[in-house]
Amino acid sequence: MNDGMVLVNQNLLVPMILVGLVLWAVFIWKEWSQRGERRFWIKLIVSFLAILSLVMTLLKPSVWQDSISGKGIVLTEGYETSQLDSLKSIYKRIQTEDYMKGRTLSILDDVDSLFLLGRGLAPFDLWQLQDKSIAFIGGKRVEGWTAISHENKIPFGEKLHLNAKHSDLKTGHWAILADNGGNPLDSVPFEEVDEQLIQLNAKPKASGQFVYRLLEKDSEGNIISEEPIPIQVLEGKPLKILMVNTFPTFETKYLKNFLTEKGHELLARTQLTKGKYKFEYFNGASNPIYGFTVENLKEYDLLVMDTDSYTALGRSSKEAMEEAVKTHGLGVFVQPDENLFRLAERQSPLQFDRDFITEITLGVPVQSVQKYPLEFKNDVRTQRISVDSANVAAYVPMEKGKMGTTLLQNTYQLFLDGKEELYAGIWTQILNNIAREQEALAKWKALTQTPRLDEPFQFEVRTSMSGIQVTTDKEANIPLLQDGLVQSKWKGVVYPQKKGWNELKVSNDSVAHYSYYVFDGNQHKTISQSETLKANLRQFGSENTFGASVSASKKAKKPISPFWFYGLLLLCLGWLWLEPKLSG
Amino acid sequence: MMGAAAIQQFRKRWQHSKYLEGLLYAIGVGAFVYLLTHTILFGVLGLIVTCAIAFWILKPWKISSENAVGYIDAHIPQAGFSSGLLLSPANELSDLSKLQQYRVALQLEPVLSKLRPPHNLLKAALVMFGLMLMGFAARFVLTKFGNQSGGESSNTEQITFAPKDSLTNTTEVPQLIETNITIQYPGYTGKATLNTVDPNVKAVEGSRVTWNLEFDGNVREVEMDLMGEHIDFTKNQESYQLTKKLEASGFYSFTFKDLDGNDYVSDLYSMEMVTDEPPMVQIEGLDNYTYFEFDDDKRLMLSTNISDDFGIDDAYIVATVSKGSGESVKFREEAVRFDRVIPKGNKRIQLQQALDLDALKMDPGDELYFYVEALDQKTPRKNIGRSETYFAVIRDTVTDGFAVEGNLGVDLMPDYFRSQRQLIIDTEKLIADRPNISEKDFKFRSNELGFDQKQLRLKYGQFMGDETEMQAAAGQVSNVEGEVDHEEDHGHEDNEDDLLDEYSHKHDSENEHNLVAEGDNHEHGNEDDVDDPLHDYVHNHSDPEASTLFEKSLKAKLRDALDIMWDAELHLRLYEPEKSLPYQYDALKIIQDIKNSARIYVHRIGFDPPPIKEENRLSGDIGDITNFDKKEVFEYQMPFTSTRETIARLEHLILGGKQFNDQDSALFIEAGNELAPKAISEPMKYLKVLQGLRDLEKIANRTKEKYKEVQKNLLQVLPDVEYNPRKKAEYRDEINLLYLKELGVYE
Repeated sequence: MNDGMVLVNQNLLVPMILVGLVLWAVFIWKEWSQRGERRFWIKLIVSFLAILSLVMTLLKPSVWQDSISGKGIVLTEGYETSQLDSLKSIYKRIQTEDYMKGRTLSILDDVDSLFLLGRGLAPFDLWQLQDKSIAFIGGKRVEGWTAISHENKIPFGEKLHLNAKHSDLKTGHWAILADNGGNPLDSVPFEEVDEQLIQLNAKPKASGQFVYRLLEKDSEGNIISEEPIPIQVLEGKPLKILMVNTFPTFETKYLKNFLTEKGHELLARTQLTKGKYKFEYFNGASNPIYGFTVENLKEYDLLVMDTDSYTALGRSSKEAMEEAVKTHGLGVFVQPDENLFRLAERQSPLQFDRDFITEITLGVPVQSVQKYPLEFKNDVRTQRISVDSANVAAYVPMEKGKMGTTLLQNTYQLFLDGKEELYAGIWTQILNNIAREQEALAKWKALTQTPRLDEPFQFEVRTSMSGIQVTTDKEANIPLLQDGLVQSKWKGVVYPQKKGWNELKVSNDSVAHYSYYVFDGNQHKTISQSETLKANLRQFGSENTFGASVSASKKAKKPISPFWFYGLLLLCLGWLWLEPKLSG
Repeated sequence: MMGAAAIQQFRKRWQHSKYLEGLLYAIGVGAFVYLLTHTILFGVLGLIVTCAIAFWILKPWKISSENAVGYIDAHIPQAGFSSGLLLSPANELSDLSKLQQYRVALQLEPVLSKLRPPHNLLKAALVMFGLMLMGFAARFVLTKFGNQSGGESSNTEQITFAPKDSLTNTTEVPQLIETNITIQYPGYTGKATLNTVDPNVKAVEGSRVTWNLEFDGNVREVEMDLMGEHIDFTKNQESYQLTKKLEASGFYSFTFKDLDGNDYVSDLYSMEMVTDEPPMVQIEGLDNYTYFEFDDDKRLMLSTNISDDFGIDDAYIVATVSKGSGESVKFREEAVRFDRVIPKGNKRIQLQQALDLDALKMDPGDELYFYVEALDQKTPRKNIGRSETYFAVIRDTVTDGFAVEGNLGVDLMPDYFRSQRQLIIDTEKLIADRPNISEKDFKFRSNELGFDQKQLRLKYGQFMGDETEMQAAAGQVSNVEGEVDHEEDHGHEDNEDDLLDEYSHKHDSENEHNLVAEGDNHEHGNEDDVDDPLHDYVHNHSDPEASTLFEKSLKAKLRDALDIMWDAELHLRLYEPEKSLPYQYDALKIIQDIKNSARIYVHRIGFDPPPIKEENRLSGDIGDITNFDKKEVFEYQMPFTSTRETIARLEHLILGGKQFNDQDSALFIEAGNELAPKAISEPMKYLKVLQGLRDLEKIANRTKEKYKEVQKNLLQVLPDVEYNPRKKAEYRDEINLLYLKELGVYE
């Protein structure tokens, strides 16, 4: 008890001691005449005690004590009244407080154990409960959309994949994905289950920033709910491609035609005989290439070569190619034939197993495509490329670049059969995965799932730029926090001031800006609720009892009751008042 | 006198209330008229007229003191029927009267001021409010429905212009005062020239359309925008004129500039071309096939209905006679005129004509194909319509007795040599017929089938080298089994020659021969033809492929087939066709297999490599070979690029991020031009979009709602984006790179 005596009004200590000493000095001077008598000394002691108790009532000394303060209830959105009632019947006169977003809870001063009812505190308010013992009891089920996830940025020409979860499924209702004009793009009927995962796909028809809609409609077509889906469709750039062949094949010819008609810059080299080549320059390609060097390969995004060319590469050419792949991000696509599948591991990073299937079906309507009777070996590095959920190709990342191949053969047959779209789809998918990516300066990530007006929006930015400065669209600087371990990772918080699209800019670069969509209070409501619930469950766990350790190790400052000092003062003053009368 | 003054006052009050009543009615009517017409003048006029009428009816000035006195006497008992006295001068009254006058005046004084003159103010007020209410209701109805019909009429019947940009108000806007559109139909249609003001033109192909526009202000130039193509109007005195020949459907709008260079644009109008349909020809009352016996009266009555949308020019019958059959068939075509002269320009005619087959010099066995062809008057090139083709056949009496001796066509296999398939069909037929035929007949037929099975077996057997029985395979064999023995005397060589001659076409080269045989898919011929190559290669030991790979398995199969045929024959001979059937099916299956494998074989040997100059071969001289360079540029543009850009631009405009400017306008016009070709083929789908885009040219339409509507419509009609690999921007995280690098190292 003595180890931790603390004064509440520590700041008054010095003046109080001075005043007390002065008072005592005055008293001593007043009684000076009685010096030499025994009662003078008694009076001195008594008066000292009286002044000390006076000083102590003002200084309020307190001691550390095991906390014995009570329990409380915090009510958050969506709590069950029945739970509250039963808690109240167990703990009579328990304190309760309604939680409001962003406001500090006052109940926290008085209690150390809290029952948290409802869906919990907003994630940015969780710090308030950090050193409390919490029993998170939960609340009503979230009804409606509980999660919506989709790519925020989509390359133009690719599909938007939207996954959503709905927990309040009514038969006859539909989930519909509509574009920014309100035209339906995809739909899924609800099933009679507790929670349904809904997957919707759509291919945006234009590039730019749009707000798509996720609608819930009943069987009569009335809109039940409408959630905005903000997306950014980014236009890509045409590729620069080098095609190297030992002899012309139909496969090469059709691939070449397809790529050149789509505006890609392409240099095709076909060997005529030893040391003589046929060079075809399309869409502005120039400079013939004989042997590979890092210099002449690094400007290409994609190198397409047949197996014979690949195996016949000289040592220096191969090293140059690998160097270009590793440091400059060149993508290499090897057109397969049986020889490729027999190459040893040191010759080619791509390894295969036989599966004896010579045909797969793709597309709608279904079309069968010839395939080599092999599959890719399972390997950590091998990344599969699938079209219509069938693995048609794979690549191996090699530092910045990639090297890949396909298992399909004679795909030009699709073109001849009039299935140009399927042909284009397959090759677009494959080449998009393998071709070099343009290096972006920064990568942004929203840490706050549902940004809202005047609520903190946390973001993360990774960039190799040094001294990055982020500003809002109103040119306000946002301070960034650099990650301790990863130098290129920064964190920041911004409080958005307008609904809809907001922008974060990097002050020293105009390209690396970031757009995020700020939702209205009514939008994504159920999603926020379920996010809050998840955040609280993460924080407090789903066990609804107090952790014993928290309660035990908790100590609180407790002031010594001033009545003790009053009593002492009264006794002392009483003695001083009575003593002359008794003795006199 | 005080009493008299009070009465006068009362009279005045009465008059006032009457005036007020009249005024209320007048205000009601005036308000009603105003609300109805929205013109102040009419309102005031209505008010005055009603006022006058009301006053004339109510006549408030006619209320005299006597009236007032009468009313007072009737309604106030205190007046004692003597209020009239108050009006009389005191000196004219008797004393008693004076006394009464004094008394009445005294008593009336407090009461009179409270007495209300008779009035209908409440009624008048109600009528007024009622009229006002009616006015509002009528106004509402008029704006709701009147505007609609009004707007429509201005859209469909007249060209309206709206300024493209905001205008300085100082200038006078030139007005279009007269529109005249003349449609001159092509001469042959016989349609009169049409004058209209409706700019949505619909006319027959080749019509000449003339637009005549007259403005009251000064106009610099007038242009027609026909789907991106700008055509200038020529100035013709006061009006502007443009003549165009209708050659394709499309959309157009007008633009004009005033002297200050302000642009005005009209709505989008459609120009629809109706193609002249070819004549419809129908032959009635005739079967598609008509058969005549040799001795019939070979006349065919045909009755034809011809109709055309503008007029028929000519019609005739096209008759084709085919003589002979197979390869010796000959055709003769001739046009037969109708007996009746065809009146030109009629829209519908009915023609009758008798076709005499004898007159067409047809013999038995000949066939006649005929149809009726009709031409319309379209210039420069006439439309041609024709009926279905009808057939008339004179039965050939000779074919019925066609004998084996005839020169056989491949498809006319004599029934003595049945294929395995035919045998199966006949066997099944025999089984089905069994209850209906006599025992003897059944046995006879079963035996006969057995014989045929034997024949077939022998036929295949000859390829296997079963030479002893080969003689029975072909030639003149009768149905009677016994005769087979007789045939044995025939030379083996002859038979084989015969066989090949009859069932295959012999050509110069072996190879070609095989190819033709493959295509010859007649049921009977097939089996035999397929055997031919096999037969050839069985003996061709010089060809390693033939003698090893294929021959062995085929031989074994054929042997199997022959064994099964034995069993089939056995059961047929035992009069048990049911038991024979499974064997027959097995045999058929194997024969089919052989046929198919033989086919593949034919393909394999069908390649002749081109000759190589021996002196150049393998010399390794590449001195003359040089690099070959080829340069080509493809202008790739994604379909509907401007339209897609328009969508993004509209999104900006909707969000209010920017103001409408000239660039937007240019972009929207470009997008419109992109969509216009599509709109021609599917006007219903695209017209709304086009009109919407065009409307954005007008300043009044640049609202958020309009942008949204246009954007929605654009998104609706746009096709999906083509697949095209693109370069994506991606940030390379140093941690990821490090990871990938390490992964590569330890691999």
